[in-house]
Amino acid sequence: MTAARADDQSADDPSAVGAGMEPPHRGSVLAQAVELSRRSIRTSFRNMAAFIPGLVFPLMLAAVYSAQFSRALALPGFPKVDSFLDFIVPASILQSVSFGATAAGAELALDIEGGFFDRLVSSPVARVTILIGRLAGSAVEALVKSIIVLIVFFVFGARVDGGVGAVIVLLVASVLLALAIGAVGLLLAIRTGSQEAVNATFPLVFVTLFVSSAFFPTELMTGWYQAVAQNNPITWIIDPLRRLVIEGWSWSDAGLAIGLPGALAVLTMAAAVLGLQRKMASR
Amino acid sequence: MTQPIVAEALVRRFGDLTAVDGVDLHVDEGEVFAFLGPNGAGKSTVVRMLVTLLRPTEGSARVAGFDVVTEAAAVRRSIGVALQDAAIDPMMTGNELLLLQSVMHGLPRSAARVRGPELLERVGLTAAGDRRVGTYSGGMRRRLDLALSLIHEPRVLFLDEPTTGLDPTSRQSLWEEVRRLNDEGTTVFLTTQYLEEADQLAGRLAIIDGGRIVREGAPGTLKEAIGSPTLRIDTPDSHRDSAAEVLARFGEPRPCREGRVAIGLAGGAGGMAEVVRALDEAGIPLDHLELDAPSLDDVFADATGRRLEGAE
Repeated sequence: MTAARADDQSADDPSAVGAGMEPPHRGSVLAQAVELSRRSIRTSFRNMAAFIPGLVFPLMLAAVYSAQFSRALALPGFPKVDSFLDFIVPASILQSVSFGATAAGAELALDIEGGFFDRLVSSPVARVTILIGRLAGSAVEALVKSIIVLIVFFVFGARVDGGVGAVIVLLVASVLLALAIGAVGLLLAIRTGSQEAVNATFPLVFVTLFVSSAFFPTELMTGWYQAVAQNNPITWIIDPLRRLVIEGWSWSDAGLAIGLPGALAVLTMAAAVLGLQRKMASR
Repeated sequence: MTQPIVAEALVRRFGDLTAVDGVDLHVDEGEVFAFLGPNGAGKSTVVRMLVTLLRPTEGSARVAGFDVVTEAAAVRRSIGVALQDAAIDPMMTGNELLLLQSVMHGLPRSAARVRGPELLERVGLTAAGDRRVGTYSGGMRRRLDLALSLIHEPRVLFLDEPTTGLDPTSRQSLWEEVRRLNDEGTTVFLTTQYLEEADQLAGRLAIIDGGRIVREGAPGTLKEAIGSPTLRIDTPDSHRDSAAEVLARFGEPRPCREGRVAIGLAGGAGGMAEVVRALDEAGIPLDHLELDAPSLDDVFADATGRRLEGAE
């Protein structure tokens, strides 16, 4: 349907439409993406009520676990590690990121519910920048939270054996995971237009993290729990990250830790863009 | 010059529901055109089609010279839009929103920094520019919404129920701003469910009901066409039927609020004495009697057989 396609592109050639009353100007797509990103970054930090719990909860949990489970390190089969704190560095970072990772979707749903989305799409904005803007907020928030969590862990004596390289991989992986989860939130927002629907996915994200190797090695699990954890993508991301923290630098682990969330992010972002195109074409 | 808003046989269906059922529009350059109708009449659906947010099921429309479907992007660049309920992110400040809106319309940031404060001053929000919109009153939001829709100096402005829910003072100040914009040459298309708003602002108006335009013209012309003034009386329930019978001798019955009887007084105000005498002779007690020159309310009632809520 050609009409649908023409409507979807804000950047179609203005010279092709000569009958207008005034020469319409073309907006810079980059400037639009930057400005929408600024908006979501700014508002996500203004919304401290949403930002703070994502830091406090993982840190409290880390404190409780490392006090309770320090003796678990002696269990046969537990990886060789200096302290439980080192063991859960990646888990706590990813958990902190998972809080608010669906916020991009929730915010977009709010924009749709409240009509701000209509304001945007009735202006000559390139549609994809609306999604980019939302994800940029999530990415920056994830980066800031990861850095804060890492600093707190360092203060309490955690050590990253993989050095600066491992720290960078940790941060990149957490940002990519935030993008992957964020894009799922965006897709849900586009499909349902309901903030509640998007928020309802958070428990799923939360539980997925717990049913993984995040806080306990899969080797020491049993039964269905072990089966689920071993086939959980979070485990596949956590394990190489953890080896970077407790064993030292390895290119293959770095590749796994970045490649997996990266691939996930590409997939889910593509799905979100397609979802938006379909929504726009079916109005 | 092409007309800034032209619609031909616009139809929009949502599943089985036909929200807009064949609407034709021709709005002239520099006009204030009002779309008057009750909730659910199809006003917003028409606006949403004209501003490219909804695709027509049938028919076509051109806005600012561009087709709303095949040249949607060009339409968006040419129009200003303030939709119902002033959709504004409460976490942002007025200045930030103006800057965002400028960039969305492709203005360079340097130009936006000049234009933003100008517009804030224009709508009387200079002092509130750095406050978050969440702290604004309803009237302030609408005024900011209007400022946002003006950022790229559009020639055609769409206002969907711009004063719904506002107090009378805020409504007045918004009306003044719309008049000022129109004086400067902006074509304004507004929807409203307030008779007074259409009467005050519109050069021409269309009454929409059930997705169709049922009357169209200048408010004065439409009122003249009604001709006779409306006579309404209140009388106890037990006398209402006989009162209607008596009144029917003096003019055609007109729709009115439940519990009242109304007619179009055929002989004009001069016939009042006779009506009162006749009611008196028939022994009908009067709780209340009023005579109104033809109003848009009468036009609406004549066109739809109903009164607009809150009117009369």
